[in-house]
Amino acid sequence: MNGDAVRPLNTPVPAAVEAAGTGAPVAVVWHGVYRRVRAIHDTWRIDDEWWREEVSRRYYVVELDTGRRLTLYRDLVRDLWYAQAYQPGRAGKRPAAAG
Amino acid sequence: MHVACLLVPNFAVALARRDDPRLKGKPIVIGGSPDEHSAVTACSEEAAAAGVSIGTTLRRALALCPEAVFLPNRQAEVAAEAARLLDLVRLYSPRVEGIAPGHVHFEIRGLAALARMETGAWLRDLSTATEQASGLGAGLAAAETVFAAHSANYTRLPGNDRQGAVPGRREPILIEPGKAPAFLSQLPVEVLPVPAAMHQRLRLFGIERLGQLAALPRSAVEAQFGREGGRAWELARGQDDAQITPGAETVVLSEAADLPAPTALSEPLVAGTLTLILRALEREEARGRSIRRLDWRVGLESGEELTRRTVFREPTADAARMQFALRGKIERLRLPSAAIAIGVVLSGLCSEYGHQGNLWQVGPRRWKELAESIEQLHVRTGNTQVFRIVEVQPWSRLPERQLGLVAFGG
Repeated sequence: MNGDAVRPLNTPVPAAVEAAGTGAPVAVVWHGVYRRVRAIHDTWRIDDEWWREEVSRRYYVVELDTGRRLTLYRDLVRDLWYAQAYQPGRAGKRPAAAG
Repeated sequence: MHVACLLVPNFAVALARRDDPRLKGKPIVIGGSPDEHSAVTACSEEAAAAGVSIGTTLRRALALCPEAVFLPNRQAEVAAEAARLLDLVRLYSPRVEGIAPGHVHFEIRGLAALARMETGAWLRDLSTATEQASGLGAGLAAAETVFAAHSANYTRLPGNDRQGAVPGRREPILIEPGKAPAFLSQLPVEVLPVPAAMHQRLRLFGIERLGQLAALPRSAVEAQFGREGGRAWELARGQDDAQITPGAETVVLSEAADLPAPTALSEPLVAGTLTLILRALEREEARGRSIRRLDWRVGLESGEELTRRTVFREPTADAARMQFALRGKIERLRLPSAAIAIGVVLSGLCSEYGHQGNLWQVGPRRWKELAESIEQLHVRTGNTQVFRIVEVQPWSRLPERQLGLVAFGG
């Protein structure tokens, strides 16, 4: 890898998720084991970059039957599920767009 | 109804007026005397109407409200009364959460039925008992959710009264199941538990009431305000899954002993203190825990009691260290009469304190050695092995865009 390149961190990992009719996850395969979702602690949606490559995600913070918490999201454009640790964006100066 | 909120508005001021009824109706400022370099910690409605607020300097408060009565901070008394209020409510409910002094949330599901009373009557009973025991008038509100119960009491706060809609102080506000959205819709956005900046932004958008917020599409609210906006939207619609979280019981370890003979010397007191500390640390509750605070007391022949408090910069479970910290204070004591008893109270128990060293606290020479070692590693393996985390787009809502890895030294 080029020493100057920036390697992304916290890339989403594809996840096998079983969802209910409402779209909420009810089970997920975690570390090769089928686990039921005991509770959904939070959910939110992100819609961004519609001018480029549309990003539309519904995030869920779930608690598995083992007590472990995961953050999953459903890619609403491609209808695929991913696992990804979530940190809200930090408020701060955003560079002005060029042009 | 599942949850109730008990609120004594402006608790510190209410306490001051309870203890001195002459203060009723007078503007009160709590924080010290006006010549102190300090700030207001609480003020009455009359003082607030003159422009005084929490954080105003005392001198400015005097200028704004010259007729105000200035009272000192009584944090210990406020905390003790707040704890007493919590204990009173615990007589009625098994799950009680202290939010702030004079502000309590507690579960009431099924409790009125156990007493064979209606919920309203049971809450009135509780309100009366609380007032009789504490001398403080408290407002009560009950609803299905924590936010609804809490918000109903918001209307009791001075300046927040809904026109003609505030019951008498002792009359609990009851929000029937299913009626929360309608009740909440008229409340101002300031009732939402979000930063003040978000309240201001909502008003800039022309959103002044929860009903207006609830009527918006959730995606639009989240697009503007992020996750907090989504949570606010849910609360505005009466959707709240918050639970009562009772605070952890404070563990305190007390040991005391009578001295074999009255003494005015410090050495027996120091030695006896060490014995008491060791005895306290052997208790089951202290296993694997560290101590933040040590209160020491000595009882004298004259009947007096002297106390000294030591707060450790780093929590410790080392008896010798505690004794060392206390030794100087004991040796400097000038006892008016002989000591006959000593006692210690260890509190502020916490998990064993590990001191995390800072990997990067290295000087220039060590830094150069580190960089050379990393370079050798890169060359030997042919690949970058050590990386640094850098911010790429920290403002981005997409987590994978916020941070990145670059080669260490790159």
